[in-house]
Amino acid sequence: MDLSVFNTYIPTLIRYVLVALLLAGGMFVIYRVQLRFGARPEAAAGRTLVMPWVVGFIIFNVFTIGASLYLSFTDYNLFSAPEWIGTENYQELFDLSFATLESADQRSSDALPPRHDEIIRIQIGDGGFVLGAREDGFWRSMRLTIVYAIVTVPLGLAGSLVVALLLNQNVRAIGVWRVLYYLPAVLPAVATALLWRWMFSSTGLVNTALAPFLNVLGVPAPQWLTDSTWSPVLFIIISLWGVFGANSVILLAGLKGVPKELYEAVDIDGGADWAKFRHVTIPMLSPALFYNLVTSLIGALQAFEVAAFIPTPTEAGTFLNWHIYQEAFNFRNMGMASSMAWIMLLLIVALTALVFRSSAAWVFYQGAREGA
Amino acid sequence: MTVVTQNRLDPLLAEPPPRPSYLLRRIVVYGLLFAGVALVLIPFLWMVSTSLKTQEQLFVRGLNFIPNPAVPGNYLEVWNRLLSINPQMTFWRIMGNTLFITVLAMIGEITSASLVAYGFSRFSWRGRDALFAVMLATIMIPGIVTRVPGFLIWRQLGLLDTYDPLTWPALFAWGPIYVFLMRQFFNTIPREIEEAAVMDGANVIQVFVHIMLPLIKPILLAIAVLSFQGNWNNFQGPLLYLTTPEKFPLALSMRFFDQSLSKEAPQWQYMMSMATMMAAPILLLYFVAQKYFIEGISVGAVKG
Repeated sequence: MDLSVFNTYIPTLIRYVLVALLLAGGMFVIYRVQLRFGARPEAAAGRTLVMPWVVGFIIFNVFTIGASLYLSFTDYNLFSAPEWIGTENYQELFDLSFATLESADQRSSDALPPRHDEIIRIQIGDGGFVLGAREDGFWRSMRLTIVYAIVTVPLGLAGSLVVALLLNQNVRAIGVWRVLYYLPAVLPAVATALLWRWMFSSTGLVNTALAPFLNVLGVPAPQWLTDSTWSPVLFIIISLWGVFGANSVILLAGLKGVPKELYEAVDIDGGADWAKFRHVTIPMLSPALFYNLVTSLIGALQAFEVAAFIPTPTEAGTFLNWHIYQEAFNFRNMGMASSMAWIMLLLIVALTALVFRSSAAWVFYQGAREGA
Repeated sequence: MTVVTQNRLDPLLAEPPPRPSYLLRRIVVYGLLFAGVALVLIPFLWMVSTSLKTQEQLFVRGLNFIPNPAVPGNYLEVWNRLLSINPQMTFWRIMGNTLFITVLAMIGEITSASLVAYGFSRFSWRGRDALFAVMLATIMIPGIVTRVPGFLIWRQLGLLDTYDPLTWPALFAWGPIYVFLMRQFFNTIPREIEEAAVMDGANVIQVFVHIMLPLIKPILLAIAVLSFQGNWNNFQGPLLYLTTPEKFPLALSMRFFDQSLSKEAPQWQYMMSMATMMAAPILLLYFVAQKYFIEGISVGAVKG
């Protein structure tokens, strides 16, 4: 084994230690300066302790987000300086078109303006509508990502609630069940993405298992990886496999925290199981459900690994996160990629805000249960 | 955590004549649980099973979960294949890369998250809660927004294709979720505990090291485990910053190997043995430390 191997480790290690020392020294100085200016020692200590995050936040979030906003108004390919082009990227992205179809077999590209391609096509009888865009790849990825999030988030939440409720039924060896259900969440996303590509290949395990049913129905086996109509279904199945365990564990912990007296109160009032579920379980679990809803929504909108390992047909689009990554690092359109990233950021913020706004109506915090 | 105050005895023994409806309910519960576990385990077992098959066995139609003959040699052969593509990519090199990144990032994450969470929970200062809210809001920022400028920063520093972007930024508490979980845990520790020490003249560092660290050990372990898992499995970071194959961690080597194979004859037995190898340490860690895994992910939601 040759020693030059360590040339890749040692410099990083040295810089790691230097940064750590600088950070510690900086914290000490900041603490001292605050005391000098008459800050309360407690406040000074608190502010000093959060310094590492504040510095990281300014460099890796505030600065990069600002830079990203600036780049979104430029044309930049890494080799020459960014060129300011105003809102051109955004104009190109929002260059959408709408056309009506004259006949059922008219091709979308013939109905749409030149250089535009189909995003959504709705066929009604002999005619129909088609929505197109110049950046059709982006919008098709947007479509796939949104469909994926809208389907997987509620299904995942409902599924994990069912699993949590089952596990809460006084089952034996709860630890073993919990371990098994949580398994998909610990497996590396890279490994599982490859595994799914193998399982969903045309002669893979899934089609082999489906074959008897398909033969009875006389339907050909779905081509999961190459037929664009199956792409969203494929990703939804993959996502649901992983999501049950991780979310169930959180919900189960929430269920264990529901005071038994509340159920007894329903018993006294003569309520049935449904009443218990509707009026005790759901309200008491709502903070955990809310937490899961927010994290799985943000997670679903940012799927990446599955897209990197499971190529989709062009007509299906891919996940936004992966589409933008390719725009930036394969095609080197840093400016355009930044505009796309900003649209994605606004989408995530808007959807999360919507969830937060709705939470006032259905999330129930029992304030008096401190330290329970 | 609430202690479930129920009779610890088996309910079947505790209530002598079980009603038929009760039994039926048990059957349904266990039936559904078994069905769910089957769905979880089948893909996993398929991965392990494929990793032990010969090329011919891969394309035999049917649900053959037990490879016959089993070829554990695939686990060595995959590394020979990788070496024949790039002679620098030895098993030890790739494992070393993965561990180097994982361990350094993990140490940075644990240290910074515990200090920052300590500052956010045990001290009162103006603007604390507002700043904490800002930190939580950063969870929403999609990585893709900061990725392009982030890449440009490291390019400017001349540190592309080094491990720097993947390791020491962790010292700046890059994982807001860990800070959040940690703070939730700190909030459950009674204040009187450290007040006594402060009375005795202990300073912030002494209180943290001698009083807080032993108390927060469970959540520290939980976060260590989650962080190890997260960094071991990390794919997006290495994909962005590393370009020389011999510097790749496992996740990226798998992509490298995948892309070097022809699409017509994918050697799934090797791909799956590599996937199993990548999953194995995480699974081992998970089985050993599952208590902490569970604790780590539930602490935020229950006390939220």
